[in-house]
Amino acid sequence: MPLAGVRDFAGSLFLTTTWRMAVRNLFRNPRRTAVVFSAIAIGLGGLMIAMAVNYGMIFQMVELAIQNELGHIQVHGAGWSAKPGVEIRVDEASTIQGVSGAALPGLRAWAPRVRGEGLASSARGNVGIALVAIDPEREAAVTGIREAVFEGAYLEGNERRALVGDRLARRLHVDVGDRIVVSAQDVAGDLTGEAFRVGGVFRTASLELDERTVFIPIDRGKRMLGMNGDISELVVVAEEQEDVDELRAALAKRLPGGLEVRTWSEIRPLLQYMVDVFQQMGWIIYAAIFVAMAFGIANVLLMSVYERMREIGIMMAIGMKPGRMVGTVVAESLCLTLFGVAGGFAVGLGGVALLSDGIDLSRWAEGLNAFGIPAQIVPVIPENDLIAPVVVAVVTALIASLWPAVRAVRSRPAEAVRHV
Amino acid sequence: MTTVLRLAWRNVWRNPRRTGLTVAATVFAVYLVVVFVAMADGSHSKMIEDSVRIQSGHVQLAADGYLENRTLEYFLEVDDTIEKALASAPEVEAWAPRVNSAALLSFGASTQGAILIGVDPEREARVSTLFDRVSAGAFLPAGQERSLVLGEQLAKNLGAELGDEILLYSMAYTLQNAYELFVLTGTLKLPDASLERGLAVVTLADAQEFLAYDNRVSEIALRTGSARQVPALTRELEAALAGASGVRVHPWNEVMPEIEQFIIVDDAGMYIMLLILVIVVGFGILNTILMSVMERQQEFGAMLALGLRPSRIFAMVYAESMMLAVVGLGIGLALAYPTVLWFIGHPIPLTGEGMEAMAQLVAMEPVMTFELRETTLPGATITILGVAALAAFYPAVKASRARPVDALRSL
Repeated sequence: MPLAGVRDFAGSLFLTTTWRMAVRNLFRNPRRTAVVFSAIAIGLGGLMIAMAVNYGMIFQMVELAIQNELGHIQVHGAGWSAKPGVEIRVDEASTIQGVSGAALPGLRAWAPRVRGEGLASSARGNVGIALVAIDPEREAAVTGIREAVFEGAYLEGNERRALVGDRLARRLHVDVGDRIVVSAQDVAGDLTGEAFRVGGVFRTASLELDERTVFIPIDRGKRMLGMNGDISELVVVAEEQEDVDELRAALAKRLPGGLEVRTWSEIRPLLQYMVDVFQQMGWIIYAAIFVAMAFGIANVLLMSVYERMREIGIMMAIGMKPGRMVGTVVAESLCLTLFGVAGGFAVGLGGVALLSDGIDLSRWAEGLNAFGIPAQIVPVIPENDLIAPVVVAVVTALIASLWPAVRAVRSRPAEAVRHV
Repeated sequence: MTTVLRLAWRNVWRNPRRTGLTVAATVFAVYLVVVFVAMADGSHSKMIEDSVRIQSGHVQLAADGYLENRTLEYFLEVDDTIEKALASAPEVEAWAPRVNSAALLSFGASTQGAILIGVDPEREARVSTLFDRVSAGAFLPAGQERSLVLGEQLAKNLGAELGDEILLYSMAYTLQNAYELFVLTGTLKLPDASLERGLAVVTLADAQEFLAYDNRVSEIALRTGSARQVPALTRELEAALAGASGVRVHPWNEVMPEIEQFIIVDDAGMYIMLLILVIVVGFGILNTILMSVMERQQEFGAMLALGLRPSRIFAMVYAESMMLAVVGLGIGLALAYPTVLWFIGHPIPLTGEGMEAMAQLVAMEPVMTFELRETTLPGATITILGVAALAAFYPAVKASRARPVDALRSL
């Protein structure tokens, strides 16, 4: 029996009659069905919106980190990842030749940088900083720093001007036009210092940038740190996230050997972990909500099977196979659940569409920025979130229908008919 | 009224299978709510405690304007008024004065910027956990002049070993350049990566001398029994220091607003998820009660025909719903309570590179701790009962409006 039963069951799911019966059975008691349907639709819809906000937070955090600081790919001298410092450099000419020669797949822009660790001082205080010397034109194509300047102006050419973050400006008590002294160690190990006028003040969603980064023109940085002909890093941006791995491979082949060519997820593995952990958490949360729903679904099916005991008995008495009987109950469960999921998608996608202007969390901006999260969050529903609920729902529907289905098959035709 | 309750109780168990499923759903929700809230509260408390004990102190005294500017210009002097105020507050378990500035550290060919703090080793040991985090060497040993303790990563980045002389460069209070050689006597392993590569600690006396700061200090960090005593202590100290002009009392959440804000946003996300869960269970209760009411329309009709007041029927159906919820709640709490207690005694270590890195991001040790606040169990109880009360409303109205005529006709 079991094998034949399984075959009957599987076969029944391919019969339109099974599904028509399932749908009709659901509409026999529309009120009951509606309550379960609403439970699934509201539960799933609400969850999708909440998750979309969470995803928006994480994705935008990654995006911002890439856009503001990391770029997609960075090239450094060997040993940088273990212990970054001015002593680790790459030759500017050959590196730039590597990236700017024949077209690389998916390459959008690149920019050279010179980096040092230093101290920024004003008449009112000292703050330890990361000194980043940039090529203003190229940098603007790679990161969002030009757009982040909200006071004064972005760097231009080789002027003796510096960009500072708003938090750093506050701590140093400086404003656009004021003088700061930047001290850092040069490649020879000597301490050098140079005075700059604050040319512009920027604000990003990154505490690291806003609080302890000073940007100066690259040629001044090279001279100050004694880098002649060398740079600290090359930042590369790809057209699309999907192009990154291919671009990295092509770039590594083109550049002189012994360099570190790393993607953003290698530079900051934490970002990748966070995205991964969030996606896994998504499954767990959907599973938890659907377990709660499974009780409701099982309840309704069980009610409906018990009400139909006589009917089921008669159907079996006139020769319906147990496997097909199970099929109708399972189909009923699947229909109910999947209608609910469709309703949930409508609520969830609708809600997310309404929130597409973004949710303003600027009241908590400081706390969020400390973790690199933007204060304006646009909810996002990744593909995984359209698949996970359906998978979880189907599994839930199958599990929830087990008990009712078995009850249905166990009904004894003789007894059932006697009740008529 | 007892009759109504007895009737309700019997009605609940008329269909034990249906009731059982709904109770199971409620148990599931209660269990998840309690365990998740305890987990979130535990990790948030740990986050606060960890960062408070490394950085701010539970409460901090500083000059007016220091918090916004954090420069040497804003300072306190530990005088009688302050000492008396601190002695007068019984919650203050210990306090430690500190000098905060920034410095460039040079060793060999390598230079790194760092936060420079000057601490009184004896007092600091009672306030912060910096001492417990020494990974090599000793924490500012007594009798050793100009000793320096660095975050482990910072020492590594400098390439310095214990005993090496490191050049510190900063700008003194007098705005003159300050240079001084310090001896590396110890390194610290810290849960916060940015501190580990950016923290330098010297003695208070050395810092005051180095920065030409005389006996001024930047802040006085206070430790109390727990973060929950902070609001009361803050008020108390503010009153005690009302006479001392220019001294401000800052609770930890003013010093590190980002941690409090992170907790608010994190909590909001979790409570929304749990609320959705409870709503789903609420629909389950609604359906069960509604079904049972629909089955009993004739019965209600007959009862009304016999003279039972509609309000009695309303009360009965309401009682059924609440009983269902109470049974689920009771079992759920009975299961969740020991679970949480067990986890309070046995925190879950977070293993794997990813989890450790995540914990580090929020400056936490990679351990998942639990905490049961006195509000958690009552909160879960009220939420479930509230949802049950909402869910019961429609069926109860439906039942009390049963029409005797229709009901009797169909008999």
